[in-house]
Amino acid sequence: MNNHIFELKDVHFTYLGKYPALRGIDITIKQGEKVSLIGANGSGKSTLLHVLDALIFPEKGSMKVFGEQVQENKFNDEAYSKDFRKKVGLVFQNPDVQLFCPTVKEDILFGPLQLGIGKREIDRRLEELLSILNIKDLLERPPHQLSIGEKRKVTIASTLIIDPEVLILDEPTAGLDPLTTRHIIDLLIRANESGKTIVTATHDLHIVEEISDVVHVFSQDKRIVKSGLAHEILEDTELLKANNLVHIHSHKHKDKVHVHPHLHIDHHVHEN
Amino acid sequence: MSKHNNFIERSLIGAVTFLKESIFSDECASHKGFLQSLDPRVKTITFLLAILQILFAKDALTLACLYVFCLLLAGVSGIHLGFFLKRTWVFMPLFSLFIAIPALFSVFTPGEVIGSFRAFGLTLSITRQGLQGAVLFVARVITSVSFVVLLSLTTKHFALLKVLRIFKIPQIFVMTIGMCYRYIYLFVEIIENTYLAIKSRVGTGVSYKRGQHIVAWNIAYLWQRSYQFNEQVYSAMLSRGYRGEPVVLHDFKAKAKDWIWLLFVLSMLAGVFFIQKSRAL
Repeated sequence: MNNHIFELKDVHFTYLGKYPALRGIDITIKQGEKVSLIGANGSGKSTLLHVLDALIFPEKGSMKVFGEQVQENKFNDEAYSKDFRKKVGLVFQNPDVQLFCPTVKEDILFGPLQLGIGKREIDRRLEELLSILNIKDLLERPPHQLSIGEKRKVTIASTLIIDPEVLILDEPTAGLDPLTTRHIIDLLIRANESGKTIVTATHDLHIVEEISDVVHVFSQDKRIVKSGLAHEILEDTELLKANNLVHIHSHKHKDKVHVHPHLHIDHHVHEN
Repeated sequence: MSKHNNFIERSLIGAVTFLKESIFSDECASHKGFLQSLDPRVKTITFLLAILQILFAKDALTLACLYVFCLLLAGVSGIHLGFFLKRTWVFMPLFSLFIAIPALFSVFTPGEVIGSFRAFGLTLSITRQGLQGAVLFVARVITSVSFVVLLSLTTKHFALLKVLRIFKIPQIFVMTIGMCYRYIYLFVEIIENTYLAIKSRVGTGVSYKRGQHIVAWNIAYLWQRSYQFNEQVYSAMLSRGYRGEPVVLHDFKAKAKDWIWLLFVLSMLAGVFFIQKSRAL
């Protein structure tokens, strides 16, 4: 028996029936794997994440999740729907979309309450998450009073409290300061070590190596152009350049101006 | 900037500031005061009982006592008296003066004339019954409004929303109001930022017609944004297991202090009721 969580074959999706968002996506994600989807804005990463979370469904092609074919009508069955939502959690790109309750506490507890998780278990998970994410002081505050970093932590808490087997994140570090970014990366690594499968969409290349076993590169024509190990992908400068993931950067060293492709990873080497 | 543009600017900034200060600040509700420490359910019930008592009060003295009681409560809850009076009296013309003033005159309330004057070629007479009725009406309105404002100032808005649930108001309705409250703030911020962005680009030289065009276009843009948000928020709800019937948290805990307060208010209102009844006899 294979340990595939997601198996997508030739998946297509268009918005309003005329704007293509995914074209022939083939992707397999194994249990416990860390997977990153990288690509420029509008390349289809977020759409794929929504497909994986069964919020939208492929117009063409097939998608198996936990070995079962996923179809929209299956979600009419309450037991199936609850089981799926307990297993797969999505952290949205825009925290304001995910934080829709009047207080942080209600937002965090929204998921487990809808999924019928027991009160005692909810309290236990809440206590654990509050200490891990250090957000105890935010509980009674309205989401609109939070900073972007705090909002991001709360959205992650609101998904992690469901304790899903698969954690899907859409640009989890966008707009964050380095320290908060570090906290979130550590959190994802810890979640993966505890057995969770992590799927992240990002164009923040300096976090990719740490949060990925496998990287899929999206092109502007909404296809996956290359998949491979993180270091293989990050070393392929031509591929990254062709897909708008690196830019030409100039700076000075000892009165000499250097011009070279600039990758947003921790270190880069100068030829001279 | 032209006079008309000043009008748009002042209206926008005024509306945004009012919304932020009055609806979203929760500043007074965060103070450590007497009313803030009470369970919101008990507080709301006792305030509703007080308002009922005000509605059935038949003399100005009872109303004055209840009003003083309200001011005392505001004082022990750390609310500055000047601020509180400003907040409550600002609603007065809106709710009562326009109704109460005509009632003073013999045209609407016939009775014993206590004074007359001429205006617009007409002789207007104020009657004792008219004056009593108007005073009672204004006193009733100001006391009720004061209790309502005090409740909203000393209770966080999300707690007030949760209180609606105990009155068996459908869950979906309460949740929708909560989400409106949450997202109005977001849209207020969008309006504010859009206005600043426009100001930074167009400077001061905008014609009235062009200003109207920009405002109209932004209203349409905001509507479109809210529509997109609506779909995304619904997806976020589905993603966390929402299936059309929201399940919510009940985490209110009434303490001994709340029961003592409830008992005190019930006894006080019962006392006022019996005093009024004995005076009527």
